[in-house]
Amino acid sequence: MNERDQILDAISVGLVTLDPDLRVRSWNRWMAVHSGLPEEKVVGAPLFEFFPRLENRVFLRNCRSVLRFGNFAFFSQKLHHYLFPFKPPRSLGGQLEQMQQSCVMGPIRGADGAILSLFLVVQDVTELVVQERRLVEMNMRDGLTGVFNRRYLDHRLQVELERFRRYARPLSVVIVDIDHFKRVNDEYGHPCGDEVLRALAASLERSVRKSDVVARYGGEEFCLILPETARAGALTLAEKVRRCVEAQRHAWGGRELSLTISAGVAEAQAGAAGPAELLQRADQALYCAKSGGRNRVEAEPVRS
Amino acid sequence: MSPDREAGFEAVDADILRELMNIAFGKAGADLADVLDMFVVLNVPDVQVIPAARLHDHIGAEIRSQPGISVVEQDFWGDFQGNAFLILPAVAGKNLLALLAPEEGTPATGSTDPYAAMDSLEGDTLMEMGNIIIGACVGKLAELLGTVVSYSPPSVSVDDDLGRAIRADLFEPGYSAVVLQTVFSFGNRDVKGFVFLVSSRESVQWLKAALHRFMAQYE
Repeated sequence: MNERDQILDAISVGLVTLDPDLRVRSWNRWMAVHSGLPEEKVVGAPLFEFFPRLENRVFLRNCRSVLRFGNFAFFSQKLHHYLFPFKPPRSLGGQLEQMQQSCVMGPIRGADGAILSLFLVVQDVTELVVQERRLVEMNMRDGLTGVFNRRYLDHRLQVELERFRRYARPLSVVIVDIDHFKRVNDEYGHPCGDEVLRALAASLERSVRKSDVVARYGGEEFCLILPETARAGALTLAEKVRRCVEAQRHAWGGRELSLTISAGVAEAQAGAAGPAELLQRADQALYCAKSGGRNRVEAEPVRS
Repeated sequence: MSPDREAGFEAVDADILRELMNIAFGKAGADLADVLDMFVVLNVPDVQVIPAARLHDHIGAEIRSQPGISVVEQDFWGDFQGNAFLILPAVAGKNLLALLAPEEGTPATGSTDPYAAMDSLEGDTLMEMGNIIIGACVGKLAELLGTVVSYSPPSVSVDDDLGRAIRADLFEPGYSAVVLQTVFSFGNRDVKGFVFLVSSRESVQWLKAALHRFMAQYE
């Protein structure tokens, strides 16, 4: 093996060269290790024989472009996730089903400048993607309860309101507040208060659909965004949550405590001004629930 | 002194380059149609020698301040080197996404990934398309000039302001760039944009010599 081939086999990126008819010319050790396909089995065979999903519009378009124009094609992880379905590194297993890849394709020219074949460099970027996702999560999630934070709530509500305006599908929000939360903190201490917040957040997440959003709105207030849900449906859900919380018993320091919540419901209306207005209307309904004796769900009156 | 002379690039050089680009972009258009599976029109190209200080204004005047623009930028280097810009109205991203998005069932869907915002999908689609169109224009021109170029990965920016979308420090003050430009459009889609190739200072002399070598073939 010559000096260059030894290096190509030692580096920790995938290197493939392809004929103009997309048969494999070379397949370095990294590709063999991650694909489980030895070089002698792949070389000379059409690439699509082993990776049929690559025979798609985008990949073929880029191959044609490189062979025709001699430019480079870049397959970013964000758009493509991966070209070759390889297992992710073991240390990151479970977080992603496939190794995330950033790939570059370019021409290989002969002495006269004519394009003879093309190369493909495959780089494993799974670790970067996992770290990026962690950062995104940290930016979206409330540290104490694990539900979405206020920043995400504001962003998502804006998105859902835009969808509501465009498609006129129902949209409701519910603001949930723990009754007499200060007493919990005063009587049982803040660690207990934190535990109660976590328990309520978990209850809320169990009660909603995957498409709904649970976010921490303020101290002991949570907000639910319920796409495709009209006022009546939101009221039913909020009432279900209220009963569920009322029935729960929490053990703390050998003592038992129970909680109640109040909730305010508002449905987006045609000509809605924006997220702040919708939240304010749900807040007003919550105020009615509180002033009406707590442990209740209220919605603003139906507009004629 | 005219800008042409400042750059060491005479009017006759610009004429030859214009002629060459006509041939190159004609071939590029035909090949692009084949590569992209759609009809691509590259209009008659133009060549101008423009002082760096005026380059922003020039590009701004050409695109007539669209409300929001997307710029794909890519450097190319070799004997012929410089910066390539593909400029589109920002809304073009959505049209292109429909046009170039991967088919369902390929690994490249991305739609189920909550971490891939729509913006970044549009950006990446623009990048892929920009990469191919710039590659076609630069590649075909380089081929006629008898050279080979390499490319940096493309980058994309979407902004309301051209000044922010294209870095002002990209062009050396006092330098007059040879600017090659064309308008392109997809035959059956409402997507229209501009390609600007701005040659680097180092490659102007090479370009001049290469143009004369090209003409010598026919003399």
